[in-house]
Order: sequence, then C-alpha cells, then structure tokens
Amino acid sequence: MILAGVLCAAGQEQSKLADTRVSSAGTDTASTSTLGPSKAVHEGTYSRYEGEKRYRANCGRCHMAPHKFPPRMMATIVRHMRVRATLTDEDMRYVLRYMTE
Amino acid sequence: MTVTVGRFLTPFGIFNERLYPIWVRNLQTDPLILPIGVGPSNASTGAMVRGGFRATSKFDINYAVYFSALSTMTLSNVTPLDSDRFAGVRAGIFIPNERLEMGGSFQHLLQDERSNSFGFHGGWQPPALPIEFRGEYQRSARGSGYWIEPAYRLNQVPFWQYAMRRTQLVARLQQYWVGALPSDVLPSVNTRQFEFGVNYYFRDGFRAVSSYGRQFSAAGNMNVWTVGLTYRFAFPLGHGDEN
Repeated sequence: MILAGVLCAAGQEQSKLADTRVSSAGTDTASTSTLGPSKAVHEGTYSRYEGEKRYRANCGRCHMAPHKFPPRMMATIVRHMRVRATLTDEDMRYVLRYMTE
Repeated sequence: MTVTVGRFLTPFGIFNERLYPIWVRNLQTDPLILPIGVGPSNASTGAMVRGGFRATSKFDINYAVYFSALSTMTLSNVTPLDSDRFAGVRAGIFIPNERLEMGGSFQHLLQDERSNSFGFHGGWQPPALPIEFRGEYQRSARGSGYWIEPAYRLNQVPFWQYAMRRTQLVARLQQYWVGALPSDVLPSVNTRQFEFGVNYYFRDGFRAVSSYGRQFSAAGNMNVWTVGLTYRFAFPLGHGDEN
C-alpha cells in the first residue's frame, strides 16, 4: 500500500510536470496570425503534448532524451532515427517539432 | 518506406540493430543468442526495404525485408566486412498507448545447409512506472535460446532523490541450447547465465555501468562482470549553434 501510494504520488507529480511543460510552452507566432490566438495556442499545445508523448513512446524505448541540437541538425538526426527505429511519418513530424522547440 | 543498398546491420531480432550501441544497452555483455541470424560481422551486404506505418489508431506496424550476398572480404579483425548469403524479414507491432512492442523475425540461409532461423522479440514500458522489460527468443539449426531483461529506474524512491532518479537497476536471465550443427561463435555447450547490474546516469549520454553475473555450463561455471563508463559521442555534430 505504501509503495502504491508513493508510486501514485510520483505519477501525479510527473503528470503535473508534463502539464506544466505543455502549458508553459510558448505560442507559435506564425500560426497565431492565421488561426487566431486561442486556436493557435490550442494547436501548439496539442502538438507539443503529442510530440512529447510520441517521443517518450518511441525514442524512450531505447534511450534517454539527448541534449538539444539546432533544428537543422535535429532534422538530420530524427530522419536517421526514423529509419533505424522504423517510426511512422506522423511520429517523426511530431517528434521533430517537439525536439526543436 | 526506406530502401537501403550496401552494408547495413542485419535486422534479425531487436538487439543487433536497436540495442547494440554501448550507450544504449543496459548491460554491456552481449546476449548468448546474439550471433543467431545476424551473420559473421553482425551486418549484411545487399539491399533492404523497411518502414513503419500507423495501421489503426491503436497500433503501428513496422517491417524490414532484406537480402544479403556472400562476402568474404575482411579488411582486418577490427573491421570485418564479411557476410553470409541469406534473405529475411522482420515485422512487428507497436502499441504506443501501452508502450508495448512485439514482433518476429524469419531468415533463410541461402548457402551451406540452407537452414531457417526465426525469432520473437518483445518490449514493454508500463507508462505508469519507470520500468522496462525486453526479451528475445531465437532458434536456428546451430542453437537456440532466450534472454529476458527487466530494468528499473529508481525515480520514485522517496529518499536520496537526486541520486536515485539517476540510478537504474538491471537484470538479465538467459539460456542457450546447442543446435544440431556446430558453430564458431555460439557457445559449444548448453549454457545458462544470470546478470545483475547497476547503472548511474551522470547525464543523458554519460553514465557509469557495472554488472555481475554467473554463467553455468558443462564447460565450467564462471563469473561475468563488467565495470565501465559509457559516453555517447555526438561528433561531428557537437553542441553546434543554437540558432
């Protein structure tokens, strides 16, 4: 029971952290201008949430998150890893966006 | 879909292609069954078609189909370039929400005894816990066996959290049975091995690793242990310009 309580508490803390990261993510100015502020923020938040989720599900199967690289380099890395880890195209796009923000 | 022509890591099972780099693997020793299906240099010389796609909203499918030609070229013992002549396929499904992956491999040797090899692999990371399970079973005319590897990251231990969340406990249980045909690279007798390891992550690409295990076989029991540091070089990328 104690162990379950500890795990549950830790799980909640992780969820809070994920929520904080999603909600604290900045707005995409390009999208904001075309979609309107609230929709753009919502889509940006969804994209980041999906990117993190797919990163954890796919990349986290084998290794931890690498440090950030510039977008151009990260695009090369993610393209390479897409082949190696047989990621879907959609997963690759979400992961790339998540890793370059 | 990706088409590869030339040299590539043989996609038989998951260890050779996905878990082989020392900064990825949890235990530094190779599984006993690793040589099954991967060829003499763990790589193939030929062509491969591979890819992954979302089959439904619940799971993805990934595949790799390949052909390797016989190559006896060896530049040195350090960089062997030899390969066997074989054709094979690996397919798997991945359920992202459950972080569950499983699949199978099949390979037909197109030389010597022209035998078949097959294997199954699986991996599971329960989303609610920092634990992971991996395992493989492989069978060929030269031998068969399995390995199972659970790894637990101590993120949720309530004391010494700075150190604990960087610490990982690993174990691997494996067993190997000799096949009908002899092999130069597989164990010559039935073998069992258990290993237990502790890894400490200083940061994402740099960690200290240690393990101790015991191997039991008719050829004699022995200890298997490792101590080391692993570092993931990003050269020539480096940290680069953040802009």
